[in-house]
Formats: sequence, C-alpha cells, structure tokens
Amino acid sequence: MSYVTIDQVTKGYENQVVLNDISLVLKKGEFATLLGQSGCGKSTLLRSIAGLEDVDLGRILIDGKDITNLSPRQREVGMVFQSYALFPNMNVFDNIAYGLKMKKIKNIKSRVKKMIEMVDLIGKEESYPHQLSGGQQQRVALARALVMEPKVLLLDEPLSALDAKIRKNLQKELKRIQKELDITTIFVTHDQEEAMTMSDRIFVMNKGQVVQSGSPSEIYTSPVNTFVAKFIGNYNVCNMEAFRKLVRSTELKGNEVAIRPEVLQLVSVGEDSLDLQENWVIKGIIKDVSMTGNVLRYEVETEESVFLVDYLHHRGNMFEQGARVHILVPKKECIIL
Amino acid sequence: MKSSLTIHKVIVGLLVIYLLIPLVGTFLFSIAGKWDHTILPESYTMKWYIELFQDERFYDAFRRTLFLIVMSVGLSVVIMLPTIFIITVYFSKWEGLLQAVAMLPYGIPPIVGAVGLIKVYSDGPIQIAGTPWILIGAYFITILPFMYQGIRNSLRTLNAVQLVDAAELLGATKFQAFRTVVFPNIISGILVSTLLSVALLFSEFAFANLLVGGRFETLQIYLADKLNSSGHLTSAIVITYYSMILLLTGTVLKLTFRNEKYPVVSNKKRILSFFRKQYSHKNTTLEGEK
Repeated sequence: MSYVTIDQVTKGYENQVVLNDISLVLKKGEFATLLGQSGCGKSTLLRSIAGLEDVDLGRILIDGKDITNLSPRQREVGMVFQSYALFPNMNVFDNIAYGLKMKKIKNIKSRVKKMIEMVDLIGKEESYPHQLSGGQQQRVALARALVMEPKVLLLDEPLSALDAKIRKNLQKELKRIQKELDITTIFVTHDQEEAMTMSDRIFVMNKGQVVQSGSPSEIYTSPVNTFVAKFIGNYNVCNMEAFRKLVRSTELKGNEVAIRPEVLQLVSVGEDSLDLQENWVIKGIIKDVSMTGNVLRYEVETEESVFLVDYLHHRGNMFEQGARVHILVPKKECIIL
Repeated sequence: MKSSLTIHKVIVGLLVIYLLIPLVGTFLFSIAGKWDHTILPESYTMKWYIELFQDERFYDAFRRTLFLIVMSVGLSVVIMLPTIFIITVYFSKWEGLLQAVAMLPYGIPPIVGAVGLIKVYSDGPIQIAGTPWILIGAYFITILPFMYQGIRNSLRTLNAVQLVDAAELLGATKFQAFRTVVFPNIISGILVSTLLSVALLFSEFAFANLLVGGRFETLQIYLADKLNSSGHLTSAIVITYYSMILLLTGTVLKLTFRNEKYPVVSNKKRILSFFRKQYSHKNTTLEGEK
C-alpha cells in the first residue's frame, strides 16, 4: 500500500529542469534514500515534499491526501536540515517544544521530556545550541522534528557535517529511532555507503530523474547503466569492443561491461592454476597500490584500459608495484550494459 | 624586536596625542576663565556650562534634534526591517536592487540632495519644504545604508532563510517565524544600526541648515549660531555633544563586543542582562552613597 506518492513531478528554474517527471512510491514505515551527486535534484525533491519549493507539474500525496498546494505548516512532515537550523535564541527544551507551542498542543512538557530521553540528551535541556557538539545539535534537530509526530520524516544530508565516528554512531541511532517509531523516512545523501547502510530502498538520481530504484543489494549488484555502476560501487566499466579484444572473445554483446573490483582476482604470471572455464583472463601490470583501511586497491594497467581490483588487506594479498599479473574475471559477474 | 615595538608605541602615542589635543583644548577652553598668554588657562570656571544649561534655546534645540532623530530612525526601523526581511527571505533576486538603492545616498552630496528636495517639495501636492518633515525624509535616506547593512548582515549571519523554513515546518506562520525566531536573534544588529544612525544624525549639519535652517533650530544650527557669539560657550556645547556621542559609541561598542563574545546566545536575554547590569550598577552606587 503506497503511503507517499510522488506523481510525475517536474520543476525548473529559468529554463533549467531540476526535477524531470519524477514518480516514486513509498510504503508506510519505509526508510528510503534519494542518492545522487550534487545538483542532481535530490534536495529539491525533498524540499518540494516539505512544501519549501513549489512544483511546476505533478502531484505529491501523503497517506492518500494531495498536499501539492498546501503550505509547509499544513503538510504534517518533519524535516532535519543539513545545518540543523536550530533556533539560537532557544535552549534545547524550547527548540524541541517550539512546534508544539505553535500548534498549541497539550502535554508539551511530557512529550518533550520523552523525546529528550529518546535522543539521549538528558541533562542538556537548558543548553543553548552553541553549547552543544555537532552530534548533539543533530539530535536536537531530530527530536524537534519527531516530537510533532509527522507522517513523513525528511532528512536533508543530516550527517554530512559530522566526523566519521560520530556519523557512524548517528547512522545506527537514526535507524533505531526510525524503526522504533515506524516512521516513513526520506533521507537525502550523496554518500553511497551511508545510503547502503541505512536504507530499505534507494532511489538513485541523476540530472533530475530517478535512474534506478531498489534495495541496496539490488542497486549494488545489478546497476542498470554506466552512471549507477560508476557512482554506486567503483565498478570497472569497460567499452565492449575493448573488452572483447582483451578477453579474445566475440560472443559478448552490448555496449559496455561492468565488473565490481572485489570480484576480480590477481594471479602472478607463471602460475598455472587458471580456471579458464569460469573466468576470462586479462594480462596486466600493477600500476599503483593504495590502501583504504581494510581494503587494498590495485590499479592494473592492461592493453586497453585500467582495472581496479580490491582485496581485503592481509599479508597473502600483497603484489608489488610493476608486477606482471593475470586478472581473473568471473564470467558470471560481468554485467552487460 | 624591542626597538621596533618602541617605534610602534611612539607612533601610536603621537597619533593619540594628535587626535586628543583638539578635544583636550576644547574641553579646557570650555572650563577656562581667563586664557590669553599662557599654555594652560589662568583660571577655571563652570559658568559656560551653567550658561549653556540655563539657556532655554539649548534645550529646545536638543528636543528638536531628538524629535528628528527618533522620528527618522523609528521610521527607518519600521519600514526597513520588514522590507529587508521580506526581500532577503522571500525575494532574494531583488536583493541587488535593494542594495543599490540603499547605497545611493553615498553618491549624492548633501548640497545637491538638499537643493533637489527643496525644488521638489516647494510646490505641488506635498509642500513640506522648510518644515521638519522634509528633514525627517532626508534623514531617513541618509541613514539608509547603515540600517540596510546592519539588518542584512544580521539576517545573513543568522541564516534567516533556513530558520524561517524550519519554523514554518514546525507549524509557525510567516509572522510567527519572524517574531519568535528571526527578530530575537537580530535585535542586537538592529540596535547597533540604530545607535550608529543616531550618532550620525546628532552631528548632521548640512541638511539641517539647508532644508530648515533657523525655522527649526537643531543642536547643530544652535552650535553654528553660538560660534559667532562666544568661543567658550561653543566649546561647552561641543564637549556636551561629544559626551553624548561618546556615550552612544560606548554602548554600541559594548553591544558589538558582547555580540562577538557570545555569538548565538539569546539576544533578548543579552540586552536584558545588559540593562539589568546597568541598573544593578546604578543601584550599587546609590546604596554606596547612602
């Protein structure tokens, strides 16, 4: 059953289309992520749902009610901004209670207290925003949005200003609270790892359009085009003609082939144990080795292009720069685009 | 290193002396009895101040100046605050135009402006030439750059657009968002702009003299008139005037300094605590005196 419906929404600024005929449907309680590069329209779509931007065409429905032309205050959506947007003249309690006061809702004290407990800010009620850390400010912003019991929670890159460790913790917290309240959430980010970690469903956006949607696993393992393949997982995307030359095969069709770096294997030249039944084999030279914590990334130069090969970082996986290798490409893992 | 520091100190010292000598000289002249052939006055007296403070014309001039300032600055705040807020938050594409308009007074010399105003308002539907109302209009324009820059900078520093968005999403109307979130956070910016404008208008002479002159004698016109009668009295007026400006500047500086020190603390509370502090200080003095 659809809970949030974006129906053919289009928006433009001075001859430039920002949202191009976007349609998407979310179920109640779902955690959906709009993922894309800067300028792809994801924040504009979020702001359109919030009512902070008008749409030129299309409809937005929440729980069956058309909210396209309602003002932000009538939409029953909560939003957390990238820069938190806490009110500097109010302390934590007043910030969280603000919406309740505006709507003249009763039991303000108990509702705010409950929310402060939920976001783990007990003892900080009297603190002003400038006296809080970035993570604490984010919790206040979240509590301020949630205390209104919105039908939909909108999160506009709320974790991007935080350092890595706090971000990881808040990702878990956010997910926990979302599940606990069973609140439909739309999260905007340009960080694919964050999107994978948190989402039930991801909508990959490019140039004002949703180019692919699905579960994190579907998006990661089955990209539908070159953009998604490159954006979502550092895929090796190779021109089909060049790939045919490299693997000396004419049976492959399509325009391009995409292969994830972690499914490739490196074998030193001279080793005989090559499974030619299951794999293609490409000759190459290690051009560069870089380390991203637990992952070793090899750049292997071949006759036609450079391939990225990811290995878990342990002693047995070490290849020297300049070493001649064979790249084993599992046939099953080649995605034809 | 030490000698270069000494040179800096000497330069600063000389500059301070250069700037203070006229003031000190004026002050000494305002309390001098006889001062003809000596470096310092031969005798001291307060009679020029007594004479000044007993002159009804001085009080009248002061009242008129105050009236003009309160009207002009008040009008400016009432008109410019909502205008700048609305343009900044809802019609940002017009911001450039508003800025250009606000900066125009810098490009028009007072003499040109005054002649133009007299010509326009001498006849036609609004005949206000020679009345204080034309001066209020001219002052409104004169302080426009201060009011505009001060309020706009406060709004920008605050990120008012996003705060209004957040407040509206939480159920506030546009006016409620302005009243409860934006205004309390820019009040010290408004206050600083206001005090700067007041200080500027206190010393304004060109417009006052050309537009109304003796028909509505302001403090500056009174001062110019007294220049011809008694130098001592003029010095007393100048020192009184400087003291008032100093008081204003001190208040502005104090507020600005506190602003930098506590950038996001409630401005309402900040100003309240400022006045409370002044009040308690006054009380302490009174108790001490008892």
